Amino acid sequence: MTTPTEGAETHRPSAVLNTLKRLGFGVVVSVPDGWLGEMLIRIEQEPTIKLVRATHEEEALAIACGSRLGGVRTALLVQNAGVLSMGAGMVSLAQRYQFPLLMLVSYRGNPEDPVFYHVPKGRVTEPVFRGIGLSHACSDRHRPIGPQVEQAATYAEEASCPFALLLSREDIQW
Amino acid sequence: MVTTARPTRTDYYKALAANLPARALVVTSLGNASYLWAALHHATENFYFEDAMGLTLPLALGVAISQPDRPVIAVEGDGALLMHLGALVTIGAVNPANLTILLIQNGVHGAAGGQALANASLDLAAVARASGISHAENLTRADLLGERIKSAPERNGTGFLVLATEPDLEVVTPPVSLDPVATKLRFMTAIDAPRYVPTLFGGGMLTRG
Repeated sequence: MTTPTEGAETHRPSAVLNTLKRLGFGVVVSVPDGWLGEMLIRIEQEPTIKLVRATHEEEALAIACGSRLGGVRTALLVQNAGVLSMGAGMVSLAQRYQFPLLMLVSYRGNPEDPVFYHVPKGRVTEPVFRGIGLSHACSDRHRPIGPQVEQAATYAEEASCPFALLLSREDIQW
Repeated sequence: MVTTARPTRTDYYKALAANLPARALVVTSLGNASYLWAALHHATENFYFEDAMGLTLPLALGVAISQPDRPVIAVEGDGALLMHLGALVTIGAVNPANLTILLIQNGVHGAAGGQALANASLDLAAVARASGISHAENLTRADLLGERIKSAPERNGTGFLVLATEPDLEVVTPPVSLDPVATKLRFMTAIDAPRYVPTLFGGGMLTRG
């Protein structure tokens, strides 16, 4: 028999949310993706986290920069296509001003998600991230996800920059 | 003699400086929006944009959310707003009462040398109202701006003031460094933002003191 805590740790999306809470994230800014939908509803129900639903990922990035500027630990939850569309703000605002931001990014269109309209985005995601100098890592499905989220958050703070953790479906879809 | 001349950015900024609320945080857009405000009223609680056109309002929304007890004033231009009109929808949905937006409507991309906008004649206050920001209006006098700033605490939502303004294309030289990281750190120190303690020192969290 498992305890509720153990159960939560084996459910990877729960572990992601619990890690955000434990690390004191007070704001999450998001533009929805199919995998993120239920996670966003859960975050909305959290008394210690304010969820802001933005209209565009570059706008979401700027909201997150402002929230972090105001002293609140802040995470972005977006699809990889959204990171592709926030390039200018990434380099001229988030990176230039050195804002530490945790970015939890659903990795659509990689070989594990071969949906025909996601594939073009998946193919270029990591090359574009490297091109714009966005520090990132892919989640490892063989390791617990909570510590991976914490490492990404720690990297962002200690390097004073955005850090993107690319997540698979089982990491993020509730 | 009847005049149709619009006030200048300087006129509005002087009215803002004269009526700036205590503990106000001011976020200014790129170009003269930042350079002139730095020249007229530099303060550690100012956050100056360099480049990142169109992102002033969403950043100011983030500041208003994270600093709910302080008035936040954002200065944006009409050209920059058009780059991210969706931000009005997000701001209208969150609707923080501590956020006041001053929109310089000069009809040109001033920071790009005065180039034409895609549409310079939009009623942007009406666009803001349609986006959920009910306290939106057009102003053509600097003294009215001062009155609106003073009465801002009485609002129950975000304020959006569209300021008809003469274009100012001559670049103002700011009297202080607008180095981005220095600007950020100066601002965060001024508001006593919690700091991150590295894991080497047993941290890993934001803490005060």
